[in-house]
Amino acid sequence: MELTDADLVARVLVDEDQHAFSELVRRHQSSVRGLLRQLTRTDFALADDLAQDAFLRAYKHIRSFRGEARFSTWLYRIAYNVFREDARRRKELVGIDEDVLQAEQDPQTVDPGLRHDLMHALNLLPLHERSAVLLCCQNGLSHDEASRVLDIPLGTVKTNVLRGREKLKRTLVAWEKN
Amino acid sequence: MEQSNDIDVLDRQLRDAAPYIDDAGFTRKVLQQLPARRPSLQRFRATILLGATLVASLIAYLLSDGGRFISDGVVRMARMSPLMILLIAGIVGALVMGVGVVAAVSKNHELRS
Repeated sequence: MELTDADLVARVLVDEDQHAFSELVRRHQSSVRGLLRQLTRTDFALADDLAQDAFLRAYKHIRSFRGEARFSTWLYRIAYNVFREDARRRKELVGIDEDVLQAEQDPQTVDPGLRHDLMHALNLLPLHERSAVLLCCQNGLSHDEASRVLDIPLGTVKTNVLRGREKLKRTLVAWEKN
Repeated sequence: MEQSNDIDVLDRQLRDAAPYIDDAGFTRKVLQQLPARRPSLQRFRATILLGATLVASLIAYLLSDGGRFISDGVVRMARMSPLMILLIAGIVGALVMGVGVVAAVSKNHELRS
């Protein structure tokens, strides 16, 4: 029987079981790195560094995980905070690396052209809308969970998701016409 | 209704557009940076128990005239009937098993809570 995230967290708490923590990292690395790649506008190296920081911080502060939210939600919150602190330090976000973006595309899942457009369209959104859209639409968080991750009011999350979606749609339609 | 369909389609496209990122050594890198494990409380507890047991055994040995009670006990056991020895072995076995079950249940509770 596969252990749940809560079981693995319990093992880390009781025995400082690093093997259990490695399983948690293995389970969530893709979504956390994916989120950070989008937030950093596809700067993969920076995103992976931030993801490492996020997991290390999660390990050090695992006692503060009360189990009220899903482990992934708690992890996203840490990852978002790490990103925000880094962005504040840098004062600017890095541009898109087209070559690396192209290399990451998996032709089996979705039309490459569409994915390319979606990534571009996402990167055009301002950070507050992009992060809300990424969490709610791409990672399947509820508005309530996203409001906890982003530490903003629920109404603001809803507005950001709505506006972000609208802009995405408008951008995609405009590109389609061209 | 059409708008809600649009939203569903857009959400699905966004989810599909997020490729699974292969681990490629990421987990190993994170593990290498984890702080070293502190000597656990349980190991500390076990050391105290073991130390206390050794000290108590030494005191008992000294107080019992060089462990004469052990040879006395062996002699007494040798005089017992096989049925009595079997009974004692059964009781001791049941006690050890009981302690094992209690320990397993409490550990399980500790992990679940």
